Amino acid sequence: MKHQPDGKTVAILTDVTKCIGCRDCVVACKQTYNLDKDVPRRWSNDDGLSSRNWTSIIERENNTFVRKQCRHCLEPACVAACPVGALQISDEGPVIYDSKKCMGCRYCMLVCPYGIPRYDWDLAVPFVRKCIMCFPRLQEGKQPACTEACPVEATIFGTRDELLAEAHRRIKAEPDKYINKVWGEDEIGGSRVLYISNVDLSFLTYGKNYDNKSVPSLARPAMNAVLPTFATMAGTMAGVGWIINRRMKNMQTDELEENQDNSSSAVSSDEGDSNNG
Amino acid sequence: MENWIEFGRGPLFRLCFALMILGLIRTFAFSLFGLIGAYHRAGEKVVPWGDLIKKTFSWLIPIGRIWRARPLYSIISIIWHIGLIIVPLFLAAHVTLWKNSVGFAWFSLPQIWADNLTIVAIISALLLFIGRVSSKEARALSRKQDFWWPPLLALPFFTGYLCSNISLSANGYQVIMLIHLYSANLVMVMIPFTKVAHCVLLPLSQFVSSVGWKFPRGTGEKVMKTLGKDNMKEEIA
Amino acid sequence: MDRVHRLKSVLWTIIGIAAAVGMTRYIFGLGATTNLTDRVPWGLWIGFDVMGGVALAAGGFVVTAIYYIFRREELHPIVKPAVLTAFLGYLAVAFGLLFDLGLPWNIWHMIIFWNPHSPLFEVGWCVMLYLAVLLLEFSPVPLESFSAWAKIRSFLIKWKLVLVILGISLSTLHQSSLGSLFLLTPYKLHPFWYTPILPILFFISAVYLGLMMASWESLFTTHVYRREKETSLIAHLVGAARWVILLYVIVRFGDLFVRGQLGSLAEINYYTVMFGLEITIVAIVPFILTMIPKVRDSNPGQWFIASFGVFGVVFNRTVTGGLAHLVQDGASRYIPAWTEFIVSAGVVSFMAILFLFFVEHFKVWEQRAADPSVDPEKLPEFDKASNASIGTPLLAGWTKNSLIFISAAAVGLMFMSGKKVASQGIDSTPVSQARGCEVLMVDGNLDGYGVKFPHAEHITRIGSEPEKCTVCHHMNLPGDSQTECSNCHSEMYQSVDAFRHDWHASSDGANISCFKCHDKGKPKDVDSAVECSECHQDLIPAGATIKVDQYNAPGYVDALHIACIRCHETYIDTVANRKIDECSSCHKGAITPENKKFAEIVMTKVKAGKFQITPEIKKDRE
Repeated sequence: MKHQPDGKTVAILTDVTKCIGCRDCVVACKQTYNLDKDVPRRWSNDDGLSSRNWTSIIERENNTFVRKQCRHCLEPACVAACPVGALQISDEGPVIYDSKKCMGCRYCMLVCPYGIPRYDWDLAVPFVRKCIMCFPRLQEGKQPACTEACPVEATIFGTRDELLAEAHRRIKAEPDKYINKVWGEDEIGGSRVLYISNVDLSFLTYGKNYDNKSVPSLARPAMNAVLPTFATMAGTMAGVGWIINRRMKNMQTDELEENQDNSSSAVSSDEGDSNNG
Repeated sequence: MENWIEFGRGPLFRLCFALMILGLIRTFAFSLFGLIGAYHRAGEKVVPWGDLIKKTFSWLIPIGRIWRARPLYSIISIIWHIGLIIVPLFLAAHVTLWKNSVGFAWFSLPQIWADNLTIVAIISALLLFIGRVSSKEARALSRKQDFWWPPLLALPFFTGYLCSNISLSANGYQVIMLIHLYSANLVMVMIPFTKVAHCVLLPLSQFVSSVGWKFPRGTGEKVMKTLGKDNMKEEIA
Repeated sequence: MDRVHRLKSVLWTIIGIAAAVGMTRYIFGLGATTNLTDRVPWGLWIGFDVMGGVALAAGGFVVTAIYYIFRREELHPIVKPAVLTAFLGYLAVAFGLLFDLGLPWNIWHMIIFWNPHSPLFEVGWCVMLYLAVLLLEFSPVPLESFSAWAKIRSFLIKWKLVLVILGISLSTLHQSSLGSLFLLTPYKLHPFWYTPILPILFFISAVYLGLMMASWESLFTTHVYRREKETSLIAHLVGAARWVILLYVIVRFGDLFVRGQLGSLAEINYYTVMFGLEITIVAIVPFILTMIPKVRDSNPGQWFIASFGVFGVVFNRTVTGGLAHLVQDGASRYIPAWTEFIVSAGVVSFMAILFLFFVEHFKVWEQRAADPSVDPEKLPEFDKASNASIGTPLLAGWTKNSLIFISAAAVGLMFMSGKKVASQGIDSTPVSQARGCEVLMVDGNLDGYGVKFPHAEHITRIGSEPEKCTVCHHMNLPGDSQTECSNCHSEMYQSVDAFRHDWHASSDGANISCFKCHDKGKPKDVDSAVECSECHQDLIPAGATIKVDQYNAPGYVDALHIACIRCHETYIDTVANRKIDECSSCHKGAITPENKKFAEIVMTKVKAGKFQITPEIKKDRE
């Protein structure tokens, strides 16, 4: 893999306790990518994300605000799933999308454990849309628009090692304030977008029953078995076919000899075969 | 009443319009297949292509032929066709409807032209109808559809003119509009399945005659039989 | 032979409607023609067309394996039709994908852009290769009619065994890989279905379906063309299939046992019902019926067995592909739109038509099936409209079929609702008026996430003179002085016809004739109409800051944002210590406990249709 080792890769840390719900990150994102106005559609999820909203603020009980965005997994399900490699991990780390390669199968949307990618359902030429961690801005040496816009530094940008250390430092400093867990550190293979929080964030996935195995690793045994299966099947079929064919030929010659004694003609197996065309 | 009008210019219009376009394509394709079949069966396989194309174009724009025989009939007929094609396609109100529903528009006629063309078309339809009914030869050559087509075509023109030029009460307007919509939809449905299909078959007609004359003997009687005119022989005799 | 024509009429009807729907899908996108959502990105077109199509084509590799490898010669009559069905099945997959893919013109991208880690990549490549293999395997049949191709044909027949082995191996791969697709959805697929051995289960059921489909196809074609029934052969096939399904059930339940899911089958919920239904259709019913010799050897019994088997496996694929996916609380379940059903049916019908074409024109069976309308002795028919001859053997039957097709397509277009297409997925959300007195609760769609608008405070700040009211109240309905926002902006997100043209023109409404408002001799549109103020002098108060210049009122959300933000941005400097231009200056604490309670009480009252000011609300307002 050409991309950065996991520790040095870029990351975002969101501190849910600091967020004031001002939505400046949402606005910054929309302005950066010139995203259209959005309204609830028939196909929208109620988490506020859509093909025109790549990040959103979810309001929870007691004035808690949780920012939702692509998690940029270390081993992304979408990247493993995309049959044409339109979704890829860039050199810097973010999971990016190449609309020129995409053929619109939406397998990425199906497999994402966080339900992040969204689709242009209303367009005749639709694309998959999601946060790309401002990949173009990173290349210019800037930080993502959302972290830059945050007025209270609730969401910050850095390398994954730095931010993990910072997250653990904060939890250690105020253990009563936080739940002792950095979301994204290692569940579902770990992600580049990390959270520390005073509320349970398992609502960001499909439920509480996730484990630390990454999604692509679940299909790996089956995928590794592909070529061996092919070879085994072809070999078995050829072998079995050869044996049965030989035995039948022998039987037929026997029959032929018997029949010749009775001076009657037999249909050869080859003739029957060529008729099967 | 509003619901019926909405239905007439929504779903019913889509149905009839699609039937017209698809039906004309179908008719054209069948004619082409039939012609190719006829060509294969024809005695002589030489087709004068250059002459054929020239003839086709000269029949599509028949100005030069007006004075040959029955000039009055020819002129009325040409005027009728001009009104028939131009007004529905280029009436400003129709263009606006297209623009509002599918999002694109094209050139539209000034209203005064459209109105005058409409009147001319209605009058020429009337004259053609009278001509067909009054002449004995024309009556003998006519099928049923030759009689009901001119009035049916004149109906949307007449109601359309009323809608855009006469002060009607709200109720009256809706009734007239309803007739306008439904008669126009009926016209569209009928086009591919009656003689009006000549609007797409015309380019093939020269080919038909150049190939058709080379048919084996007795073909003409079969054609007459298919057209339902097998008793014509006795009539003429 | 009437059955053939009746069948063709039905098939062409379906194809016609599907063609209209398909066209709409290409012009207006997937949202207008499917019920797919961001939560449910895969629906019937994948679950049925692709996964079902591949499974239905399993007959090809199962029958060729039994015939060519295991040399069971009694299968000879059904080998060629089975290969043809497989070929058409995969063609249907590719064809169905052209509707389902968002960017179908990029379908070939898989050839040049590789991602070998993707199960879908593997499925795609296997399907492409197998389609090619099937084409080569089947092509000797049509090539028989073209003597120029005799050399190629004999070459293909010579290498048939290699093609067959290649086909079997490729089929094994992708039949199982269709299961691998769902290995990547551990959090979405219900545990009854999600298992690491999903590929193995898919493969076993594909073998089962292969046998069942070969039987069903024989039953169907012998019925339609009134050919001699192949009853004893089918009895053999379904007899073999029952042991395959037994193996499937054992593996399936063994897997559930190992994963400790067996206990949860005892509950009754959506998923257990689905599971029970699936097992009943796919296994229990066909297995029991096959165990009774009398049923197995009778034609109607075989119809039942094969139909249950085929439908059962396709049902299993559709369930795995979407129906058994977990949904979050409160989200509605995916039910395919009629447009999705008709396109799927259209794809299948099209393949059926192709099947009939092949059996009628080439020697798929020992005896070529005859279309009764193909009669070279018959006199030419004439098309009524064009008087063109269409009775040549080439075009026989096409007069009727093409007429059916175009009529069905037109009817399909008629039913494509313009509203669904135009709405762009925005549901109509009526606005309820703001509630309260000094502080107004602005929550148009009653979802509880509203804005508390201090009306009285704004009046003190701006001034209570009548002309000051017009800063916000820019339009008053006739006889009204301060019309509420929700009166005209009555839709949450869509712009609405605030003028109500049809009411003005209706005899039940204002009963005004056209030329009272529109100029005579001009098209009756906005440009030719008079201003509202010509009749309604007080409609727009003098000095209104928001000028109404259009026929449609923008949606409630837009209207209020425009009205509020304009002032807030203008007066930002005059208000000390408050960032009134930020979202949070209005949308704050939207879900505080008090706020939520307030909204909930009001909502229940409004929904019950009896809105009264109760002590709780009064208290809340204070």
